[in-house]
Amino acid sequence: MPPSPGPGRRQLLQAGLASAGQLLLGGCALNDLGPGVAGASRPLNERLEAWLQSRGPIPEFRRDQVEPQRLLVNNFQAVPQIDPASFRLSVEGLVHRPLSLSLADLAALPQREMVIRHVCVEGWAAIVAWGGVRLADVLALAGVSPLAGYLAFDSADGYFETWDRPTALHPQTLLVSRMNGAPLPAANGAPLRLATPLKLGYKQSKWVTGIRLLASLDPLRRGTWEDQGYEWFAGL
Amino acid sequence: MQTPTPPRGIQPLWTRAFHALDIALLLVMVSSGLQIYNANPVFGGREGMTLPAPLLLGGWLGGGRQWHFAGMGLFALNLGIWIALLLRQRHRRLAALDDVSSLRASQSQPRRRLASHRLVYTAMLIVLSLALLSGLAMYKPASFWWLSGCFGNWQTLRTVHFATVPAMAALTLSHGVLSWRIGGLRLLRSMVG
Repeated sequence: MPPSPGPGRRQLLQAGLASAGQLLLGGCALNDLGPGVAGASRPLNERLEAWLQSRGPIPEFRRDQVEPQRLLVNNFQAVPQIDPASFRLSVEGLVHRPLSLSLADLAALPQREMVIRHVCVEGWAAIVAWGGVRLADVLALAGVSPLAGYLAFDSADGYFETWDRPTALHPQTLLVSRMNGAPLPAANGAPLRLATPLKLGYKQSKWVTGIRLLASLDPLRRGTWEDQGYEWFAGL
Repeated sequence: MQTPTPPRGIQPLWTRAFHALDIALLLVMVSSGLQIYNANPVFGGREGMTLPAPLLLGGWLGGGRQWHFAGMGLFALNLGIWIALLLRQRHRRLAALDDVSSLRASQSQPRRRLASHRLVYTAMLIVLSLALLSGLAMYKPASFWWLSGCFGNWQTLRTVHFATVPAMAALTLSHGVLSWRIGGLRLLRSMVG
């Protein structure tokens, strides 16, 4: 006698095959469960990501490895018109000295360039040379309160982002005004955008006009795309 | 042979459990992965051909990522424990070089069939490991810069990760057909049920 599977096991098998069939013939019924499965898996994923990133700087590429043709442009709205002469970057919230910096103020800070891989949530990536000031230097000017665990970045086009404090203070997180050795093009976020090797592209706001230091996050306003379902930490 | 072996056609409980879990997890990983693929096709980029909705899971890029990165941990755990157990308990059943020679030289058809089957299911484990490693290299290219570096450039990395899907589809089909020819429905059933 071949030992046949018991009824319980057979039912289980049938249920499994049925759900597999449903998956193949249109996961539509399962699509709504996406936020649920993400809620179950993301806290652990994000803790692992933060831990991985706490282990020193990310190796950079050589300048001759940049791939200008691979860098695609994704915009939330139309490219905003910004007058460089009247442009100001505000730094407010939980800081000792709120700031309003002109582009000349930023240019007076130590400049650095990093050649990193810019990775888009869509799956493409490009090696880019970003030039600008360390976000940590700007934040040091403002004097960040120890209570400020998060940062919010407001952009001229209405896009907004929120970040964790350690990534913002990372030495490879820059407020950039130059790309691949030339002034940053308007489509790529001129006059000022975020750049870091540590997070996906949608975290790296273009046309940044304001930085707010926060003690906590509003769970309903964590970022333009995050509120639609993208990962908040989005570590690379 | 003196060592006690389970009756022919009956797989240990852990093999059946890992098989069943793996089928479910692979369906989730493939369908959500193809959903992510559609946001920027590996071949052709924004002008590339996208895949039809019945193959996809998630509904949009964000939904596909939710499923893909929820499934990956379970997939990795399942595969890792499975390979560890196989190497420890049943490594004699994994393919070895003499399978290639018996495939070439043996006159006995059952023996050749068994050899080719061992090669097929061992290759499945290698392809699944490659899917995991290339996925990790793409998911955390900054933290695992050394792993991403092993694949050369980004397009190669994406291509390798994608290629594991048709490779697994072909191998799964061969695995099913060969199991059928070796042990019939009884063997197929004993693999998952």
